[in-house]
Amino acid sequence: MAHTEHKQSFLSKYVFSTDHKTIGAQYTITGLFMAALGGFLAYVFRYNLAFPGENIPIFGQLAANQYNTFVTCHGMIMVFWVAMPILLAGFGNFLIPLMIGTDDMAFPKLNMLSYWTFLISAIVLVASFFVPTGAFGGAWTMYPPLSVNGYVDPNPSFFKALFYGSSLMILAVALEFTSILMGGINFVVTTINRRAPGMTPWRIPLAVWFINIATVIFMFSVGPLVAGAFMLLFDITLGTGFYDPARGGDPILFQHLFWFFGHPEVYVLLLPSLGVLGEIIPVFSRKPLFGYKKIIYLALLSAVLSVVVWAHHQFIAGIDPRMATFFSIGTILISIPFAGIFLAFMATLWGGKIKITLPMAWALGFIGLFLIGGLTGLFLGSNAFDIYAHDTYFVVAHFHYTLFPDIFFGFFAAFYFWFPKFTGKELKKGLGYLHFWLTFIFFNSTFFLLFFNGLGGQHRRINNYDLFSNINIEPYITFEKIATISAICLILSQTLFIYNFIVSWRAGKKAEKNPWQANTLEWVADSPPPHGNFETVPTVYHGAYEYSLPNMEADFLPQNVQAE
Amino acid sequence: MNIFPENVSTYGQDIDQLFWLVLVFAGTAFVISVFILLYPLFKNHHSRIQRAKYITGEGKAHFKWVIIALCVLTMSDFIILFAEHHTWEEFETLPQQKDAEYIVTGRQWNWAFTYPGLDGNLGTADDVVIDEPNSELHVPLSKNVFFQLKAKDVLHSFFVVNSRLKQDCIPGRTITRWINFTKEGKYDISCAEICGIAHSQMRNFIVVESQEKYNTYIDSLYKQHSATAGGN
Amino acid sequence: MENQRSLSVPIIRVPQGRLAMWVLIAGELMIFGGLIACYLLYRLRYPEWADQAAHTSTLIGALNTIVLLTSSFTVVKAHEAANKMDLKKVVLWLSVSIGGGLLFLVNKGIEYTTEISHGFTFSSPHLQAGGDTIGSLFWSFYFFMTGLHGAHVIAGMVVMFLALLNARKGKNLHRVELAGMYWHMVDLIWIFLFPLLYIAK
Repeated sequence: MAHTEHKQSFLSKYVFSTDHKTIGAQYTITGLFMAALGGFLAYVFRYNLAFPGENIPIFGQLAANQYNTFVTCHGMIMVFWVAMPILLAGFGNFLIPLMIGTDDMAFPKLNMLSYWTFLISAIVLVASFFVPTGAFGGAWTMYPPLSVNGYVDPNPSFFKALFYGSSLMILAVALEFTSILMGGINFVVTTINRRAPGMTPWRIPLAVWFINIATVIFMFSVGPLVAGAFMLLFDITLGTGFYDPARGGDPILFQHLFWFFGHPEVYVLLLPSLGVLGEIIPVFSRKPLFGYKKIIYLALLSAVLSVVVWAHHQFIAGIDPRMATFFSIGTILISIPFAGIFLAFMATLWGGKIKITLPMAWALGFIGLFLIGGLTGLFLGSNAFDIYAHDTYFVVAHFHYTLFPDIFFGFFAAFYFWFPKFTGKELKKGLGYLHFWLTFIFFNSTFFLLFFNGLGGQHRRINNYDLFSNINIEPYITFEKIATISAICLILSQTLFIYNFIVSWRAGKKAEKNPWQANTLEWVADSPPPHGNFETVPTVYHGAYEYSLPNMEADFLPQNVQAE
Repeated sequence: MNIFPENVSTYGQDIDQLFWLVLVFAGTAFVISVFILLYPLFKNHHSRIQRAKYITGEGKAHFKWVIIALCVLTMSDFIILFAEHHTWEEFETLPQQKDAEYIVTGRQWNWAFTYPGLDGNLGTADDVVIDEPNSELHVPLSKNVFFQLKAKDVLHSFFVVNSRLKQDCIPGRTITRWINFTKEGKYDISCAEICGIAHSQMRNFIVVESQEKYNTYIDSLYKQHSATAGGN
Repeated sequence: MENQRSLSVPIIRVPQGRLAMWVLIAGELMIFGGLIACYLLYRLRYPEWADQAAHTSTLIGALNTIVLLTSSFTVVKAHEAANKMDLKKVVLWLSVSIGGGLLFLVNKGIEYTTEISHGFTFSSPHLQAGGDTIGSLFWSFYFFMTGLHGAHVIAGMVVMFLALLNARKGKNLHRVELAGMYWHMVDLIWIFLFPLLYIAK
């Protein structure tokens, strides 16, 4: 063992690595590949919507069941195989050890196991496209009874049923949860136990706080769904009747279990990105993060509230009206802490010395777009209007206005911010701005018009509106076409990012150690940080956001430097 | 241009108005927020500012602005909640007066309609069931029409765009909803909950007509039905 | 590797393993919590499940409760011994605890065989011994809950066995405590399952 330690082979350095940065990169890159797949699926079904019946370039004809499958898998992939690995696992792995000033995760081998489990889950999901029944096509929510008896055979054998698209999807999700749980244990233990000396709780950067809060929300909300998913799997493969009303089961039970997890999941995805904003905005405002402690309290409050809002997805599922009112109030209440967090971010800008850089542009774009997503949530949160808007394109546009900024603007903000740190190279600025503006414009032109399609009554998950003469009219048909063409442009614009990524990484200008003059500990390490991160353990003397301190010449004060 | 399709139910108007009410609040919040976001970008551009102000926002002096904003937001939220509660109740509570009642059953992939038959009661032997593609459910105009919504196999969602009514149909349950139509015509019934391969093909019609026309239709329907039943 | 590890200085000196085990246990409890909540909701809806619960063997259930409680106690003894570095005792008490788990599984096996031979199975929609289709759902829950718990019993035994192998060589003694914590969780879950499935009739 001892003599091989310093000479790592390619395999042990890049593939079977226990280093948190490599694992973070593995998660992120796997996530980006899955994003490409999810984007491709979106391209195919968007094309089909705009030009029904036509041959789709590089795909061909899309049958009705394929349409369902593609919509379902697009949702599944984007949430569980793009957002989770990139935002939670990716950010968590890259940032936590560096930001709290340690060499690696508490359990590096568990961390590696977590990634490989994740990769297997992705492979299982992709493999489900190739089983005889095709991948699952009953929406990403997997509501029974459709997910149980959506197939022709009423009494399949166990093994036949195990290789249904639905069973494989449940298995893939189960593996993915296991992977994130293993990663989550690592995040929490690392943050509690392995902080550099002086890194007291109120000096931990916001990103680390938020990733941990997200992890805890995830771990506490996912349990019941794990039980529920097993019951669903038994219903499919072993013929039990947990959700079969003919046998005393109740299909609504699954909806409760699903959304008990599904809604907190939204915050699991949102918090890591918000944490990243909390790092970027102060740096480019040269001003302390406004109300750092209060932001964390607000996030903790939202974590508590996140478990009492789930049934607002079920307003029209026939739940008790009093329950609907209760969840309506819960939904309103949870919007408050998040509004507070966004206000605090905007307040950070006031009185600052603002420099618009690439990461800052993405961060500001995030806030602007998320504003639309959040405010359209008000419409859906009021249960009477939800009667009409539920399961229409209004909902589709709403959650894309929340999740797209969250996942992609959040990721790109982080990417352009920390790229110099993790590669030691500078990115091409012009290309970066072009990428930003194209993404921003095409995202809006894709999804903004869909609000109107939704208000016009176009319901979701329909591959062809020909039958519905009162909603298949102008201008909605044109809107569909604009949305589709924009979506294609949006996907194509991402090639700029890939090009910039590869070219800058291989032949970019060498970056400084602390190019943005930021305070947090990761900027103390070399770029790229070596295995083990820090040469000596940094000692932390103050919080992460001491910018433009009075009585000091420099306008920043790194956490490991004592004030004069 | 009207952003909603034509409304033909008594409560549809309220639902549409609710949209405009929320839009006022959301729009105001949006404009203010965009101002808060963009103003400092121009005013505090780094070329104009020597040094940023050191404001941590931890003390009451600064953070109170966030608290005030949040209080305003909470209040507007509750105003919305209060305003929409009335509409929600109207939709959820069945009116005292029941003029007609039908069973609507979702199945893969069609809506089946059950008329009460000559005895006027559902669930009796003389119920008339129509389960054909593109079939029509005839209902009288300006009457409180009740629908017992059921599902046979998987989840469906009874959606009549022009009436604004949407309600999931759940196997093993019966959920009763009502509409009072305000205009004659033939409207689509679609399914708003994914129910399998032909989910997009699940379309039937609801035909709203005056009481006289409706009576004529029902009479002929029942006659036709008893003739076929007698023939067996 | 070792010198790099020592770079980090933990502030709160909770042993890492213990901390991770707490997080794991919290996650596990949420799974069982969700399952128990589902069971309770159905149980309240169907009072007739009491007739089905009458077919479970309270005697074996009670016996198993005692077995698990005892083995929880012996695991504590193993932990005590580990603190005193008394390797022989550690191995002894861990073996007794594993034996307890084994006894539990044997009892469970007897129970399952009797129940299945009486026609109470995991997924059969029709019950031989009277009862209707709704009653069969009770058995689905019964087998799922006890089965999942049984899987945790097996996992706990494996963990204790690994700790035992380590302890024999005198290394990683802290694992005895971790295995014990996990075993207590297994015990705790049973304490909930026993009254819900066996006693409430």
